[in-house]
Amino acid sequence: MNKKDSPYFHAIQILEDNCTGCTACVRVCPTEAIRVRDRKADIDPYRCVDCGNCMDVCEFHAIIPSSDPLDIIHNFKYKVVIISSSFFGQFTEDISYAVAKQAVLELGFDEVAEEAMVTDFMISIIRDYIRENRDKRPILGSNCPAVVRLIQVKYPSLLPNLLHQEAPMSILTRYLREKIAKEHKLLDEEIGIFLIVPCVAHVTAVHQPEGAYKHLQDGAFSTGMIYGRVREILKDIQNHPMDIDTYPQGLTWALSGVQADLVDTDDIRALSVNGVENVMDILSRIEDHYLDQYDYVVLRTCTNGCVGGCLNVENPFVAMSRIKKMSKEGTNNEIHVEELQELYAQGEFTVTPLAPRPIMELDKDIKKAIQKMKKINEFLTMLPGLNCSACGSPSCYALAEDIVLGKASIDDCLVLRRGNPDEDE
Amino acid sequence: MRVSAVVRSEVMPEYRFVAEGFEDAVRKFEEQKPEAEVKTQFVIPEKDFNTAGKGSSELKNLLKRLGVDSVVLRRIAVASYEAEINVAAHSKGGIMYSTVYDDLIHVRFEDEGPGIANIEQAMTPGYSTADDLVRELGFGAGLGLPNIKKNSDAMRLVSAAGSCTKLEFLIYFAKIS
Repeated sequence: MNKKDSPYFHAIQILEDNCTGCTACVRVCPTEAIRVRDRKADIDPYRCVDCGNCMDVCEFHAIIPSSDPLDIIHNFKYKVVIISSSFFGQFTEDISYAVAKQAVLELGFDEVAEEAMVTDFMISIIRDYIRENRDKRPILGSNCPAVVRLIQVKYPSLLPNLLHQEAPMSILTRYLREKIAKEHKLLDEEIGIFLIVPCVAHVTAVHQPEGAYKHLQDGAFSTGMIYGRVREILKDIQNHPMDIDTYPQGLTWALSGVQADLVDTDDIRALSVNGVENVMDILSRIEDHYLDQYDYVVLRTCTNGCVGGCLNVENPFVAMSRIKKMSKEGTNNEIHVEELQELYAQGEFTVTPLAPRPIMELDKDIKKAIQKMKKINEFLTMLPGLNCSACGSPSCYALAEDIVLGKASIDDCLVLRRGNPDEDE
Repeated sequence: MRVSAVVRSEVMPEYRFVAEGFEDAVRKFEEQKPEAEVKTQFVIPEKDFNTAGKGSSELKNLLKRLGVDSVVLRRIAVASYEAEINVAAHSKGGIMYSTVYDDLIHVRFEDEGPGIANIEQAMTPGYSTADDLVRELGFGAGLGLPNIKKNSDAMRLVSAAGSCTKLEFLIYFAKIS
């Protein structure tokens, strides 16, 4: 979905032909971004945070993700893929981590890297940041792009609390760009770096990174799409395995709770939260200063963390159990962090302060906003209070607000219309 | 100069506080009694810690819609949450009344008793009469009332042992120069 008049990109698309106007998506949207008008769902690009709830709930295949097609890699001379840590939890246990990784490489890449390579290094960056920013409590993890956008739209007062450092896959991108350009004598535009991601929020983040100072990735592939491609060639690869580095311990990054446990230490108390409802509850409590005793809070909108992403194929609990098993069994390859440390020391991983995207305000002028609120309350007393969403707005309150903001009319209320059959004639 | 003192009124002991710089504005507000723009009320049941906090959370959402500055918003949120928890934890239940004016919010809490025996003590940071149930739930550190005072521009607490408690506070949306 990319509306011409909106400055915001989203990796969620509505197929109008499939949409029945059932309003299931309207009711699950955490930012009330969706309305059904003329029996078709419509997403407000200013409000959408790419959490993927609407896609999960749609029974009609009318809301679909839009990730990049694999052939875009051919636009580049040197092709690198970075695999998100949740990816290897998607495969049944007869397929080894190394074989699945080799299969990804053989889809046409020159080099394959993993988020799991740099998670240890990331922990040290996070701890540094928490210790250097004692005036802000708690620091909020910024790995989940849906959480970052949720804070921008609904909790802008918490923006200064975000960890202002790039996420592991972007750190790795920065490092690889520099290294590959040097080693292979290539120009930046000849190197294509792509991510395999578990959710639409990550696709959006690749196409519209928040706070990035420099060119990052060139595309994002859905875990589900890559999974399908990999399965086609797995049999062949199982017969011709090659030596490939693995980082099983880093894979636990995909699981909610692990990052907080790793960051937690004598002087740092960390909390971990997953699921969009829980995330919103915790953000609201942080706003009220009720969680100031925590130094760091890791928030992810999907169940169990990134294994719960909407582009994955496996159930989040099964994927979690597999990753836990893998992390105990395999041996971790060493990675040289000296070069990463050098880039870090140069401030290469710092991000710019993020701007709010306020969606809640009724008006820029508080006096006008109060007048609008008065009108909303007046309309609210006229509406039936069933919160049935049949009008296409998520609740009676939302309809009252839509009416006052000129986006709907009181005639949209089907319950009221049924009560006045004469008016319908 | 900060004005804060326990005044023994004819009816009930009263604690008043007006933050520095807000004396004139508060006096004017009390004299003129301007007409309220938006009013809400919320019932706070006794010892109901599952819903306690919901009233202030709804108030926060309303203020976000009005576009109240985020720093001011957090002060209002803290003060109203503390007061709401106080009513749930210490009283037989009560009501939270929020009134929005053009330039400020007035929040009033009225409960069903049993009242505060010693207001001055209640205003001392760290002093608490919370029972075990309340403490088990992580409340009752004795910082509630001082925290409300810290976050509001004006505050008034009226209570006596055996009667109901009335707490109100004012918070202005913009700094008064």
